[in-house]
Amino acid sequence: MTPFRPMLEALTRQRGVRASLIVSETDGLVVDSSLRFDQDGDRVAALAASMYRKARLSARAARLGAVAFLQLDAERGRVCAVGGRSDLVIVVVADPAANVGLIRVELFKALESLE
Amino acid sequence: MNIATVEPWVEAPLRRFVDDARARLALLLHPSGQVVAQAGFTREVDVMTACALAAASHATSGELGKRVDGHAFRSLHYAGPDRQLFLSPVNTARGAYICLTVFNAESSLGLVRMYFEELCHDLAAAAPPLPVAPRPTIAADFELDLNRNLAALFGREPAAT
Repeated sequence: MTPFRPMLEALTRQRGVRASLIVSETDGLVVDSSLRFDQDGDRVAALAASMYRKARLSARAARLGAVAFLQLDAERGRVCAVGGRSDLVIVVVADPAANVGLIRVELFKALESLE
Repeated sequence: MNIATVEPWVEAPLRRFVDDARARLALLLHPSGQVVAQAGFTREVDVMTACALAAASHATSGELGKRVDGHAFRSLHYAGPDRQLFLSPVNTARGAYICLTVFNAESSLGLVRMYFEELCHDLAAAAPPLPVAPRPTIAADFELDLNRNLAALFGREPAAT
Protein backbone atom coordinates (compact mmCIF):
# COMPACT_ATOMS: atom_id res chain seq x y z
CA MET A 1 0.00 0.00 0.00
CA THR A 2 1.39 3.39 -0.98
CA PRO A 3 1.09 6.52 1.21
CA PHE A 4 -1.42 7.88 -1.33
CA ARG A 5 -3.99 5.15 -0.72
CA PRO A 6 -6.02 6.80 2.12
CA MET A 7 -6.26 10.03 0.11
CA LEU A 8 -7.44 8.19 -3.01
CA GLU A 9 -9.97 6.14 -1.09
CA ALA A 10 -11.38 9.33 0.47
CA LEU A 11 -11.84 10.75 -3.02
CA THR A 12 -13.47 7.59 -4.38
CA ARG A 13 -15.91 7.58 -1.44
CA GLN A 14 -17.45 10.81 -2.76
CA ARG A 15 -20.85 10.30 -4.31
CA GLY A 16 -20.64 9.72 -8.07
CA VAL A 17 -16.87 9.23 -8.17
CA ARG A 18 -15.88 6.19 -10.24
CA ALA A 19 -12.12 6.39 -9.98
CA SER A 20 -9.36 8.45 -8.48
CA LEU A 21 -5.76 8.18 -9.52
CA ILE A 22 -2.35 9.68 -8.98
CA VAL A 23 -0.66 9.92 -12.33
CA SER A 24 2.77 10.94 -13.54
CA GLU A 25 2.21 13.87 -15.90
CA THR A 26 5.36 13.18 -17.91
CA ASP A 27 4.91 9.44 -18.40
CA GLY A 28 1.13 9.12 -18.21
CA LEU A 29 1.55 6.14 -15.90
CA VAL A 30 -0.47 5.30 -12.79
CA VAL A 31 1.37 5.85 -9.52
CA ASP A 32 -1.58 4.63 -7.44
CA SER A 33 -5.31 4.35 -7.99
CA SER A 34 -8.61 3.59 -6.36
CA LEU A 35 -11.00 2.29 -8.98
CA ARG A 36 -14.61 1.23 -8.96
CA PHE A 37 -15.64 -1.77 -11.02
CA ASP A 38 -15.15 -1.55 -14.80
CA GLN A 39 -12.66 1.33 -14.87
CA ASP A 40 -9.49 1.00 -16.93
CA GLY A 41 -6.94 2.85 -14.81
CA ASP A 42 -4.10 2.71 -17.34
CA ARG A 43 -6.23 4.24 -20.08
CA VAL A 44 -7.63 6.98 -17.85
CA ALA A 45 -4.15 7.79 -16.54
CA ALA A 46 -2.57 8.05 -20.00
CA LEU A 47 -5.33 10.24 -21.42
CA ALA A 48 -5.80 12.44 -18.34
CA ALA A 49 -2.07 13.08 -18.01
CA SER A 50 -1.85 14.00 -21.69
CA MET A 51 -4.84 16.32 -21.37
CA TYR A 52 -3.45 17.97 -18.23
CA ARG A 53 -0.05 18.51 -19.81
CA LYS A 54 -1.61 20.04 -22.92
CA ALA A 55 -3.74 22.34 -20.74
CA ARG A 56 -0.72 23.39 -18.69
CA LEU A 57 1.34 24.14 -21.80
CA SER A 58 -1.57 26.01 -23.39
CA ALA A 59 -2.10 28.11 -20.26
CA ARG A 60 1.58 28.93 -20.17
CA ALA A 61 1.63 29.82 -23.89
CA ALA A 62 -1.35 32.10 -23.38
CA ARG A 63 0.43 33.70 -20.40
CA LEU A 64 -2.37 32.68 -18.07
CA GLY A 65 -0.09 31.16 -15.46
CA ALA A 66 -0.36 27.74 -13.88
CA VAL A 67 -3.37 25.48 -14.31
CA ALA A 68 -5.34 25.32 -11.06
CA PHE A 69 -8.15 22.91 -11.89
CA LEU A 70 -9.01 21.05 -15.07
CA GLN A 71 -12.49 19.76 -15.76
CA LEU A 72 -13.75 17.87 -18.79
CA ASP A 73 -17.50 17.29 -19.07
CA ALA A 74 -18.54 14.57 -21.46
CA GLU A 75 -21.81 12.86 -22.25
CA ARG A 76 -21.27 9.90 -19.94
CA GLY A 77 -18.92 11.28 -17.34
CA ARG A 78 -16.50 13.94 -16.29
CA VAL A 79 -12.80 14.06 -15.59
CA CYS A 80 -11.32 16.47 -13.02
CA ALA A 81 -7.60 16.93 -12.45
CA VAL A 82 -5.32 19.04 -10.30
CA GLY A 83 -1.56 19.20 -10.32
CA GLY A 84 0.97 20.95 -8.21
CA ARG A 85 4.64 21.70 -8.40
CA SER A 86 5.66 18.07 -8.75
CA ASP A 87 5.13 15.80 -11.74
CA LEU A 88 2.12 14.22 -10.05
CA VAL A 89 -1.46 14.90 -11.07
CA ILE A 90 -4.53 13.81 -9.11
CA VAL A 91 -7.32 12.68 -11.42
CA VAL A 92 -10.94 11.90 -10.63
CA VAL A 93 -13.43 10.27 -12.99
CA ALA A 94 -17.04 10.94 -11.97
CA ASP A 95 -20.61 10.49 -13.14
CA PRO A 96 -22.20 13.42 -15.01
CA ALA A 97 -24.47 14.06 -12.03
CA ALA A 98 -21.67 14.14 -9.43
CA ASN A 99 -21.21 17.28 -7.34
CA VAL A 100 -18.20 18.95 -8.98
CA GLY A 101 -17.93 21.62 -6.29
CA LEU A 102 -17.41 19.01 -3.62
CA ILE A 103 -15.01 17.03 -5.78
CA ARG A 104 -13.02 20.20 -6.44
CA VAL A 105 -12.72 20.94 -2.71
CA GLU A 106 -11.62 17.37 -2.00
CA LEU A 107 -9.12 17.47 -4.86
CA PHE A 108 -7.49 20.65 -3.52
CA LYS A 109 -7.35 19.12 -0.03
CA ALA A 110 -5.70 16.05 -1.54
CA LEU A 111 -3.24 18.22 -3.44
CA GLU A 112 -2.23 20.01 -0.22
CA SER A 113 -1.50 16.69 1.44
CA LEU A 114 0.46 15.60 -1.63
CA GLU A 115 2.73 18.62 -1.44
CA MET B 1 3.91 10.50 -42.04
CA ASN B 2 5.55 8.32 -44.65
CA ILE B 3 4.66 4.63 -44.11
CA ALA B 4 6.03 1.76 -46.16
CA THR B 5 5.00 -1.85 -45.69
CA VAL B 6 6.07 -5.19 -47.07
CA GLU B 7 2.72 -6.74 -46.16
CA PRO B 8 -0.28 -4.53 -47.05
CA TRP B 9 -2.54 -5.64 -44.16
CA VAL B 10 -0.13 -3.98 -41.72
CA GLU B 11 -0.49 -0.46 -43.12
CA ALA B 12 -3.86 0.67 -41.73
CA PRO B 13 -3.28 -0.49 -38.13
CA LEU B 14 0.25 0.93 -38.10
CA ARG B 15 -0.88 4.28 -39.51
CA ARG B 16 -3.60 4.53 -36.86
CA PHE B 17 -1.12 3.66 -34.11
CA VAL B 18 1.44 6.23 -35.28
CA ASP B 19 -1.21 8.95 -35.54
CA ASP B 20 -2.92 8.20 -32.23
CA ALA B 21 0.24 7.66 -30.18
CA ARG B 22 1.98 10.59 -31.90
CA ALA B 23 5.03 8.43 -32.53
CA ARG B 24 7.98 9.92 -34.41
CA LEU B 25 9.19 6.59 -35.78
CA ALA B 26 7.76 3.09 -35.82
CA LEU B 27 9.13 -0.15 -37.10
CA LEU B 28 7.49 -3.55 -37.36
CA LEU B 29 9.89 -6.42 -37.91
CA HIS B 30 10.29 -10.15 -37.65
CA PRO B 31 12.26 -11.34 -34.62
CA SER B 32 14.96 -12.29 -37.14
CA GLY B 33 15.43 -8.60 -37.97
CA GLN B 34 13.60 -8.61 -41.32
CA VAL B 35 11.52 -5.45 -41.81
CA VAL B 36 7.74 -5.71 -42.25
CA ALA B 37 6.77 -2.03 -42.10
CA GLN B 38 8.27 1.31 -41.21
CA ALA B 39 6.91 4.75 -40.46
CA GLY B 40 8.88 7.97 -40.35
CA PHE B 41 12.28 6.73 -41.54
CA THR B 42 13.79 8.58 -44.46
CA ARG B 43 16.82 6.45 -45.26
CA GLU B 44 16.88 2.75 -46.08
CA VAL B 45 20.11 2.24 -44.19
CA ASP B 46 18.50 3.59 -41.00
CA VAL B 47 15.69 1.06 -41.30
CA MET B 48 18.13 -1.82 -41.74
CA THR B 49 20.26 -0.71 -38.81
CA ALA B 50 17.24 -0.12 -36.56
CA CYS B 51 15.84 -3.56 -37.48
CA ALA B 52 19.08 -5.32 -36.67
CA LEU B 53 19.52 -3.47 -33.38
CA ALA B 54 15.87 -3.84 -32.34
CA ALA B 55 15.94 -7.60 -33.03
CA ALA B 56 19.19 -7.94 -31.10
CA SER B 57 17.87 -5.84 -28.22
CA HIS B 58 14.63 -7.85 -28.06
CA ALA B 59 16.53 -11.13 -28.10
CA THR B 60 18.96 -9.90 -25.44
CA SER B 61 16.31 -8.57 -23.05
CA GLY B 62 14.22 -11.71 -23.61
CA GLU B 63 17.12 -13.95 -22.70
CA LEU B 64 18.04 -11.75 -19.73
CA GLY B 65 14.44 -12.01 -18.51
CA LYS B 66 14.60 -15.80 -18.75
CA ARG B 67 17.78 -15.83 -16.66
CA VAL B 68 16.54 -13.34 -14.08
CA ASP B 69 12.82 -14.05 -13.87
CA GLY B 70 12.33 -17.40 -15.61
CA HIS B 71 10.30 -15.68 -18.37
CA ALA B 72 11.34 -13.48 -21.26
CA PHE B 73 10.86 -9.76 -20.53
CA ARG B 74 8.00 -8.64 -22.72
CA SER B 75 8.53 -4.95 -23.29
CA LEU B 76 11.48 -2.62 -23.12
CA HIS B 77 11.36 1.13 -22.52
CA TYR B 78 14.29 3.48 -22.69
CA ALA B 79 14.01 7.19 -21.95
CA GLY B 80 16.62 9.46 -23.47
CA PRO B 81 16.83 13.19 -22.83
CA ASP B 82 14.75 14.07 -25.91
CA ARG B 83 13.43 10.82 -27.31
CA GLN B 84 12.21 7.57 -25.83
CA LEU B 85 11.80 4.13 -27.29
CA PHE B 86 9.36 1.33 -26.60
CA LEU B 87 10.07 -2.16 -27.89
CA SER B 88 7.49 -4.88 -27.56
CA PRO B 89 6.37 -8.07 -29.33
CA VAL B 90 3.11 -8.40 -31.27
CA ASN B 91 1.48 -11.80 -31.79
CA THR B 92 -0.67 -12.48 -34.86
CA ALA B 93 -1.88 -15.45 -36.87
CA ARG B 94 1.10 -14.82 -39.16
CA GLY B 95 3.48 -15.27 -36.25
CA ALA B 96 5.27 -13.00 -33.80
CA TYR B 97 6.60 -9.59 -34.73
CA ILE B 98 8.46 -6.89 -32.85
CA CYS B 99 7.38 -3.28 -32.82
CA LEU B 100 9.85 -0.48 -32.14
CA THR B 101 8.27 2.89 -31.36
CA VAL B 102 10.21 6.12 -30.94
CA PHE B 103 8.43 9.10 -29.39
CA ASN B 104 9.24 12.44 -27.83
CA ALA B 105 7.60 14.83 -25.35
CA GLU B 106 4.59 15.15 -27.69
CA SER B 107 3.53 11.75 -26.40
CA SER B 108 4.13 9.70 -23.27
CA LEU B 109 4.88 6.13 -22.31
CA GLY B 110 1.33 5.73 -21.02
CA LEU B 111 -0.18 6.84 -24.33
CA VAL B 112 2.19 4.69 -26.38
CA ARG B 113 1.42 1.62 -24.25
CA MET B 114 -2.30 2.25 -24.47
CA TYR B 115 -2.34 2.63 -28.25
CA PHE B 116 0.13 -0.23 -28.62
CA GLU B 117 -2.47 -2.56 -27.06
CA GLU B 118 -4.91 -1.38 -29.72
CA LEU B 119 -2.29 -1.97 -32.41
CA CYS B 120 -1.88 -5.55 -31.16
CA HIS B 121 -5.65 -6.13 -31.41
CA ASP B 122 -5.85 -4.47 -34.83
CA LEU B 123 -2.93 -6.46 -36.24
CA ALA B 124 -4.29 -9.72 -34.81
CA ALA B 125 -7.65 -8.98 -36.44
CA ALA B 126 -6.14 -7.90 -39.77
CA ALA B 127 -3.57 -10.67 -40.16
CA PRO B 128 -4.57 -13.17 -42.83
CA PRO B 129 -4.00 -16.79 -41.81
CA LEU B 130 -0.81 -18.46 -42.90
CA PRO B 131 -1.29 -20.34 -46.19
CA VAL B 132 -1.81 -24.03 -45.49
CA ALA B 133 0.66 -26.32 -47.25
CA PRO B 134 -1.31 -28.43 -49.77
CA ARG B 135 -1.87 -31.99 -48.59
CA PRO B 136 -1.24 -34.86 -51.00
CA THR B 137 -4.35 -35.90 -52.91
CA ILE B 138 -4.04 -39.38 -51.46
CA ALA B 139 -2.63 -39.52 -47.98
CA ALA B 140 0.16 -41.94 -47.20
CA ASP B 141 -2.12 -43.83 -44.81
CA PHE B 142 -5.08 -43.74 -47.21
CA GLU B 143 -5.52 -47.52 -47.41
CA LEU B 144 -5.28 -47.98 -43.66
CA ASP B 145 -7.73 -45.15 -43.11
CA LEU B 146 -10.13 -46.55 -45.73
CA ASN B 147 -10.04 -50.02 -44.18
CA ARG B 148 -10.65 -48.56 -40.73
CA ASN B 149 -13.61 -46.54 -41.96
CA LEU B 150 -15.09 -49.47 -43.91
CA ALA B 151 -14.71 -51.67 -40.86
CA ALA B 152 -16.49 -49.09 -38.75
CA LEU B 153 -19.21 -48.70 -41.35
CA PHE B 154 -19.86 -52.42 -41.69
CA GLY B 155 -19.33 -53.35 -38.06
CA ARG B 156 -16.24 -55.44 -38.71
CA GLU B 157 -13.07 -55.72 -36.71
CA PRO B 158 -10.39 -53.62 -38.41
CA ALA B 159 -7.86 -55.71 -40.27
CA ALA B 160 -4.60 -56.20 -38.40
CA THR B 161 -1.73 -54.19 -39.88
